[in-house]
Amino acid sequence: MLPWFILFLLGLSKATTHTYDFNVTWVTANPDGLYERPVIGINGQWPIPIINTTVGDRVIIHLHNQLGNESTSLHFHGFFQNGTTEMDGPTGVTQCPVPPGSSITYNFTTDQPGTYWYHSHDQGQYPDGLRGPFIVQDPDSPHKGKYTGEFILSVSEWYHKQIPTLLTSFMSYTNPTGVEPEPQAALMNDGPNATFPVQPGQTYFFHIVNMGAFVGQYVWFEGHHMRVIEVDGVWTEEAEADLLYVTAAQRYGVLVTMKNDTSANFPIVSSIDEDMLDKVPPGLNPNVTGYLIYDSTQTLPQAQWLDDFNPFDDFTLVPSDGLGIFDNVDHSMTLDVVMDNLGDGQNYAFLNDTTYLPQKVPTLYTLLSAPEDLVTNTAIYGENTNSLIVEHGEVVEIILNNHDIGKHPFHLHAHNFQVVVRSDAEAGDFDPTNTTALTTAAPAPAFPAVPMRRDTIQVPPHGNVVLRFRADNPGVWLFHCHIQWHMQTGLMATIIEAPLALRAQKGSQGVQALPADHLAACQAGGTLYEGNAGGSTSDWLDLSNANYPPDPLPAGFTARGIVALVFSVVAAFLGMAAISWYGAAEFKTMKVGN
Amino acid sequence: MYVFSVPIFFIVFRETLETGIIVAILLSFLKQNIGGPDRDPVIYRKLRNQVWVGTGSSLLLCTIAGCGLIGAFYSLNINGWGIADQIWEGVFSLLASLIISIMGIALLRVSKLQEKWRIKLALALATHSRTSTDTATTRFKRFCEKYAMFILPFVTVLREGLEAVVFIGGVSLGLPASAIPLPAITGLLAGCLLSYLIYKGGNMAPIQVFLIISTCVLYLVGAGLFTRCVVYFEGYKWNHMTGGDSSESGTGPGSYNIHTSVWHVNCCGISINTGGGGWAIFNAILGWSNSASYGSVISYNMYWIAVIVGFLSLLYREQRGHWPLMKKSAAVNQDSDIDTPKDPGEPEEPIQLPTLEETDDKSATTKAVAA
Repeated sequence: MLPWFILFLLGLSKATTHTYDFNVTWVTANPDGLYERPVIGINGQWPIPIINTTVGDRVIIHLHNQLGNESTSLHFHGFFQNGTTEMDGPTGVTQCPVPPGSSITYNFTTDQPGTYWYHSHDQGQYPDGLRGPFIVQDPDSPHKGKYTGEFILSVSEWYHKQIPTLLTSFMSYTNPTGVEPEPQAALMNDGPNATFPVQPGQTYFFHIVNMGAFVGQYVWFEGHHMRVIEVDGVWTEEAEADLLYVTAAQRYGVLVTMKNDTSANFPIVSSIDEDMLDKVPPGLNPNVTGYLIYDSTQTLPQAQWLDDFNPFDDFTLVPSDGLGIFDNVDHSMTLDVVMDNLGDGQNYAFLNDTTYLPQKVPTLYTLLSAPEDLVTNTAIYGENTNSLIVEHGEVVEIILNNHDIGKHPFHLHAHNFQVVVRSDAEAGDFDPTNTTALTTAAPAPAFPAVPMRRDTIQVPPHGNVVLRFRADNPGVWLFHCHIQWHMQTGLMATIIEAPLALRAQKGSQGVQALPADHLAACQAGGTLYEGNAGGSTSDWLDLSNANYPPDPLPAGFTARGIVALVFSVVAAFLGMAAISWYGAAEFKTMKVGN
Repeated sequence: MYVFSVPIFFIVFRETLETGIIVAILLSFLKQNIGGPDRDPVIYRKLRNQVWVGTGSSLLLCTIAGCGLIGAFYSLNINGWGIADQIWEGVFSLLASLIISIMGIALLRVSKLQEKWRIKLALALATHSRTSTDTATTRFKRFCEKYAMFILPFVTVLREGLEAVVFIGGVSLGLPASAIPLPAITGLLAGCLLSYLIYKGGNMAPIQVFLIISTCVLYLVGAGLFTRCVVYFEGYKWNHMTGGDSSESGTGPGSYNIHTSVWHVNCCGISINTGGGGWAIFNAILGWSNSASYGSVISYNMYWIAVIVGFLSLLYREQRGHWPLMKKSAAVNQDSDIDTPKDPGEPEEPIQLPTLEETDDKSATTKAVAA
């Protein structure tokens, strides 16, 4: 396999346009060397292309769905999409699923530097292969000149079965505790033996991205230190790290300086966080090893597995731009993560007792087609979109309490949020009264003065995080756990950011202002693109046709149970009556006989 | 800890009662025939002692056999069998339910038990009398004659006792060993007490009321065991469907198959860990479950329907002489264990029966034994 070495030309400061034709098709691949299976590729290739741009560049992707049996879409993870919310990609939110045979064009600018990735945002599809790295070069990087080369180091877990099959067994009454499917392998750069040819004494910039859909991975370089300089597209001050924990969808940019000695090659290890697996399947190798190749004639040493993991704490990172804490919170909302069963016996995920369900009309299309006076009424988007409206320009705070025993990597579309609090595991809910100055001008010492900003944050089991961001990006943005299994069972909310500004931005034509191919995809797939969540354009507050989840489980006896219990009790009493009658015949015998 | 198994109590109680009746019949017989003031007190004491020694040694043997057998069962370490546990538990529950259901009938018919043993013992004695008149007398036969009052209770009690051991083994398979001693001892005491009361004669009516109530409880337990058998089998299937995952769910959502659920209440679970100690007793005696399925509810009701049909049929047969829906002639087959009396019109067996009431009938049969 060719090393994924990327050498970037410097000095390209003029914004350019990168145009791609992506034919999305099924191809066959065997990335873990264990099992050959159909995967979703682009232009007959898998792994799919790496997209490289420079800050300010425009990207135009003509996506042609040639899968034949599945719809698709593309989301560009971490990009703000300011002014282009319709290019964000999640189906049912900012666009319709692109049905087989249809095409759609994504057109947006990459105004942020750093490490990103792109993936399908439709039906939990991307673990079947439709995900790839997306790097944006920054000519004005604060770390410019510290390195002589760059590498992409992607990790992910890998399944042998395809997602629709896995989803069928995952979302079933026979999986009442919602046990996530166990992966069969860990991949590094989509293979088992990634190699990184290096020169002694040089420093390299590794773009580490977890393109997985479920487990976090521990990443370390044997015999080398990492210096973190970027987190989710935000430049940070250098911070030394030996072991990183990268959740699904998180990215880190790290500098690694090579030894001045070519006598040995060194393993790079990525190890699945087995705590996230309900049970570790026998035969699963949680580790995948790549190599720093100092000398290709030398052997590849066996990596040393770790038993104890003590990863770098990303909460301590400081953004290079020095952006201080948003200390005037205008709008605070609390979301509680709960997993529970509904009346159909399946396990669902809930934010504040509401499980997310896609509606008949994508939320953005509802917003653009509704009467102006109703767009701030969350009812029209459907109760189960978990819609939260925030006003233009306000500082929004999300208090996320995890009532579940699992780790949940939450991702907010189109924003980097400040992580102002992250509790330990088992710390319980965030208690605002216990922390001073939440809404006062002076931030309490407990809060970092310059908080780490990123777009995906691990919420500890039975713990909490507090996130803040400025609502400066009108659009319809998902806030969700990036574990695909949990997304499918509803661990999502919709942030409707500055709805009036968004309508003003798109003009008086409303939904018709969107690209014609986006609407054509809706028509081709039979998806409504006007109306409220239930598709009603006459009575906007009539949500009777909206999508709703099954009823909750009954708490106690239902009519059926009462009838059954009464029958059983009556049967028992009749039975005892029969016994007594038979036994009473003995009295007669006594008089005659004894 | 589970320390009192109701089925074991009843099994021991019933078998003790039966043994007691045998002993009582033999003692009455001796008393009536050779225990009078004008008879030989030495022979009487000797024979009476034979009865006691025969009974006692037999009981001792059964106890040893029982302990050995049950010890062997537990040494198999049934709990170590993993998920197949539920299959075993289900089979054991079914076995226990069937055993106590069949045994329960006899409990209501003390007079028939007595009748049965009178006939059996009389037959046994008649055999001895016949052998004694044979010309070919071997030493063995003479030995048998001489110790008939030892051998008769010894063999009979041994048979009944081993039966009890097997039954106790059967119902205790799904139970911890700690659940056996207490009901076994109390059952033994209750059986002895009742046997004594029966032997003393007196008023049988309160005894019969007690037996009716006991039998009702016994069948409640039987119904509970029957439905638990279905619950175990369903639990096995459900665990299979969920990959053994439902055991994590305790008694909450996910611990049961929603598609076969009739009721599920998030309280009153039977696990002692979740504070369900009281409900566990409720479960043991009545088969209560906080999660009922179609299978468990239907099996519970079917059990009672079978019990109702069974007892009404028995009653019908006793009163009319044949089973319901059958011709009269076809019904006169002798069921040996659940002894129903013969048709009223049928002549009694030619052999004279020793009864508790008989005072002065000294037939050839009884003389032969006494000599």
